[in-house]
Amino acid sequence: MTHIARQKKLYPAGCRLLSFCALSLAINLPSIAQTTDDDLPVLDLDSPIRMNFSGNWEKDFARSDNWEDELTRRMQIRQENAALQASGVGLGNGPSISLGNINLNRPRRRQANLVNLARLAEYINRNSTMEIFQDRNEIRIERRGEAPLVCGMETGPNETFSGQHGAEICGWDRNQLVFEMALPDGLYIIHRFSVTSDSQMLRMITSISSNGSVPFNLVQSYNKYQAPPDEYNCIQTITRGRVCSQRTPLN
Amino acid sequence: MALINIFRYGILIASAIGLAACAQTPQPEPAPPPIPTVGEVDLDTAESDPQDYLLLDIGVEVFEIEISEQEALEFGEWIFTEIRESEAHYLPYILRNTLLASNQWGAARVLPTHDPSMDLTIQGTVLSSDGQRLTMWVEALDSTGRVWLQKDYSDESLTDDYPVSTRYTPGSPFDASKFTEPFQDIYDQINNDLVQVRQTLSIEDLIDIKRVSQLVYASDLSPESFAHNLDKDENGRMSILTLPAEDDPQMRRVEEMRLRHHLFIDTVDQYYESLYEEMQAPYVVWRKYSYDQIEEETNSADNAYDFSNYGRSRGFLTLTQRYDRYRWSKIFEMEYRDLSVGFNNEIAPAILQLNEQVHGLSGTMEEQYIQWRRILRQLFALEAEIPN
Repeated sequence: MTHIARQKKLYPAGCRLLSFCALSLAINLPSIAQTTDDDLPVLDLDSPIRMNFSGNWEKDFARSDNWEDELTRRMQIRQENAALQASGVGLGNGPSISLGNINLNRPRRRQANLVNLARLAEYINRNSTMEIFQDRNEIRIERRGEAPLVCGMETGPNETFSGQHGAEICGWDRNQLVFEMALPDGLYIIHRFSVTSDSQMLRMITSISSNGSVPFNLVQSYNKYQAPPDEYNCIQTITRGRVCSQRTPLN
Repeated sequence: MALINIFRYGILIASAIGLAACAQTPQPEPAPPPIPTVGEVDLDTAESDPQDYLLLDIGVEVFEIEISEQEALEFGEWIFTEIRESEAHYLPYILRNTLLASNQWGAARVLPTHDPSMDLTIQGTVLSSDGQRLTMWVEALDSTGRVWLQKDYSDESLTDDYPVSTRYTPGSPFDASKFTEPFQDIYDQINNDLVQVRQTLSIEDLIDIKRVSQLVYASDLSPESFAHNLDKDENGRMSILTLPAEDDPQMRRVEEMRLRHHLFIDTVDQYYESLYEEMQAPYVVWRKYSYDQIEEETNSADNAYDFSNYGRSRGFLTLTQRYDRYRWSKIFEMEYRDLSVGFNNEIAPAILQLNEQVHGLSGTMEEQYIQWRRILRQLFALEAEIPN
């Protein structure tokens, strides 16, 4: 976007004349126009515009899944399926389920059972708050006691971490931010974040599966809250650790 | 949706093949054999002051950096690229100090770009650099275009290279005098190699190098007056066709200009010294963290899961342990990344200062240097027009 186009966007109604003047100046006094250009922030239009996730978020327990309820619901579905199967109603190519709940929850070879996956989902989502920082280049989700989830703004997928204990990729699925983690022995975790258009409510779906099993999904809802303003400006240094200075009203 | 499916399948395949199956160390692609390390090297120092013809002036240009494809693809690589760019200003100063410490050479200066007044110019490219290993390619050419060095150098650090004092606290600040550069052997080896090449040259060759650099500088100032004194063959080697008279007034002016020029590049060199001093403490600490991180990764690889022996339990405790191991390894990695950002934060003012220190000129240090040379050329042209 050119300097003039940016001005039009910033002042759509009353400043066309100003834009015209700026155009004249740009033509007649290139050196002055250059100085003015340099003062304006340059927008990188190659970076896609994403939903605004930034802010402090607290869990809305009323609207979030309770892992035990969700587990019970999933169990009921299984029991119903088993009953249907027993009565001879076809269930397609689903896994065979024995009668009378016998072996109902026995995992297939090398798969973790649903109860353990559900408990793990709860363990991973034990935090009730999170803070999200977002700019034009990066989004960073911080939860206490957890490694931050960091992703760029490109559609991806991008590999964000890889090590002996697992690998992580992230990317954007339309307006949703997705992190996928592959842990040893086929444990597979997906976090999917979405936010309402007014950026006041956030939804995080965690799916956990083991060696290709049907995933256990846990939906968590968050509401934005106004955290007290940080009194300090902090910067990480290497020799002095985190160096903070008190915020003044000006900054 | 299609994209996410693609990467879902991608990760599933990756999981199936590698992590999911057994979490064994992935088979690395066959890499070129590592450049052998220089080992332990003693600096070849001159006991007494060498003869004048041996005292060549050396310009060490700010190094280039090479980012490997693998590095460029890594998420957050820009943090480490910034560190590598800062290193390119820092490492040449260690070489410059080593050359001076050897007492084998004339002036040794760090320069932002090629300088025609130097007898010997050293260029380097940092191929890889972390707390554990430094690999660089070094080329040294004299003013006649003779190649002195074209060689890869590599060195590895040891735990002892990062004594407890490098993990200093505000109560025990960094003491540069007690610290030895972990990769000092590389710089010592470069100096020793240069001394070895110099020993193969005759006195005439060395005097010739000095004369050529004088004429190259003169020709750079005023090609129309001095270009005819030099000849360049098809291999780029310079030789003297004619020497100006000893009392040539133009040559005298060239020498005056050269003196001013050297004063300027001495000042530039001092700016690099300031940067070096500012950067040394955070750089050493960052390298220590980098060393620790690599050690941790190596240990982690050595102690990787062996699922043939390790219980294949899928109980809740095993799952949480598996997740926690992943979580902590990622936290460790992210902290290292944050510290690297901290390093960049800490030295940013010093880099900025380096680029702002020459008053009346603008742009980066390199641009200012080019401007300075242009001014000298104009000054010389003006003075040449004034009758003696």
